[in-house]
Amino acid sequence: MLPESHTAVIARNETWRGQSASEGYEAGWAREAVFFVRALKPSIGPVCPAEVEISPDGIHWIAEGTSFDLPRRQGDIAVARISHFGNWLRVRADMVEGAEATVLITLHLKA
Amino acid sequence: MTENPLAHEQADALRQAMMLATPGLSRFDPLPRLISHDDFSTGYCGWSQLVGNYENTLDTMLPGYAQHSSPMLSTLGHWDAGSHGAMSGSYALKIATRPKRGAQNVVIKRLTFRKPVPIRFEAYVTYKPEATELKLGDQDLRSFGFLFDLQHGDTHPDPERVMPHFRFLNAHGGERRECWQFKNGRTEFVEIGNESKTRSHYHLADEGWLPLPGGNQRLCYNEIATKVNWTYLCFDFDLSTMQPLKFQCNDRVFDMTEVDSIRMPAMHNLWNMLNFAFFVETDTDKRAFLYVDSVCISGGL
Repeated sequence: MLPESHTAVIARNETWRGQSASEGYEAGWAREAVFFVRALKPSIGPVCPAEVEISPDGIHWIAEGTSFDLPRRQGDIAVARISHFGNWLRVRADMVEGAEATVLITLHLKA
Repeated sequence: MTENPLAHEQADALRQAMMLATPGLSRFDPLPRLISHDDFSTGYCGWSQLVGNYENTLDTMLPGYAQHSSPMLSTLGHWDAGSHGAMSGSYALKIATRPKRGAQNVVIKRLTFRKPVPIRFEAYVTYKPEATELKLGDQDLRSFGFLFDLQHGDTHPDPERVMPHFRFLNAHGGERRECWQFKNGRTEFVEIGNESKTRSHYHLADEGWLPLPGGNQRLCYNEIATKVNWTYLCFDFDLSTMQPLKFQCNDRVFDMTEVDSIRMPAMHNLWNMLNFAFFVETDTDKRAFLYVDSVCISGGL
């Protein structure tokens, strides 16, 4: 049997303003995860950092330690590689006032 | 070729004996042809999120579809008791809504059929709200259910697209309902984009559900939000007549005499379509989850 591999769309055409986060995703079967974040529209305002979060239960979240800048130009992508995440994963960004980003976030998992 | 009834009987008995001796299959009552048997401890098995139609920009997607997200493989991990596990193996397919009253999510498996025969759709499922409160939460989930999306083959003289829908309406507006419902009639299509090539319709809207005759049923929710029990579903549908034959949930079998499906003229690119979907809907600003342990889809030979 080949190792399981899966692509999940975590956020599609979501416009992030203020405190924003993707829906959490369970991936306890996977040993490694890669997030790609693609700008579907040009971002508005200053560059905003995003970070990966993990959770014991999908309800309480804490920073995993990986952070990256959200892409600015339409079509640009950002990436984050994760391992040792337990089960739950999500991306969070605290957008500064006036900033806005419309994103497609995909999660690529491999057992 | 001469028919030999005895040989048929023996073959059927052998098939039945082999089925009953096969872990994972013996809990189902499939028709002779196994079309698919999905145990989510082996992966996603071709069940993916139902994405809406769009043209040129994702902004054209209807809001009902825009809210959908990818299913997960879950061990039903809970903050108070750890992983519940599936009915067999560790993983079940998890369909989760967003935490907004009325939010829905849908997973779908897309096939085509090679013979218009009776088919049987069986599954073991369970449903729960997210355990964000130390409360029972038994009225937090609005509904869960399943649907088929079917279309006649391209040589049918009067081809139709036919969509049987069933949901268990658990609660609505905070009121306990506990009844099965179905949909029939037509749904409204809207043009997507400006090239007149793409249309869409949100057939899972809260409107248009009809009570299934005799369809009141109390299911096993259990005593707190993190205890789950698996429920058996079985739906028989005849692809030759495009009519439902039987619906069963656990020990209850429901009469299909007055039940029909959403129907519309055939579409130009959906011939022989054989799609199956599960959905879940929340009644509060709390996520609702539908878990599917396994699915067996079978048909006549």
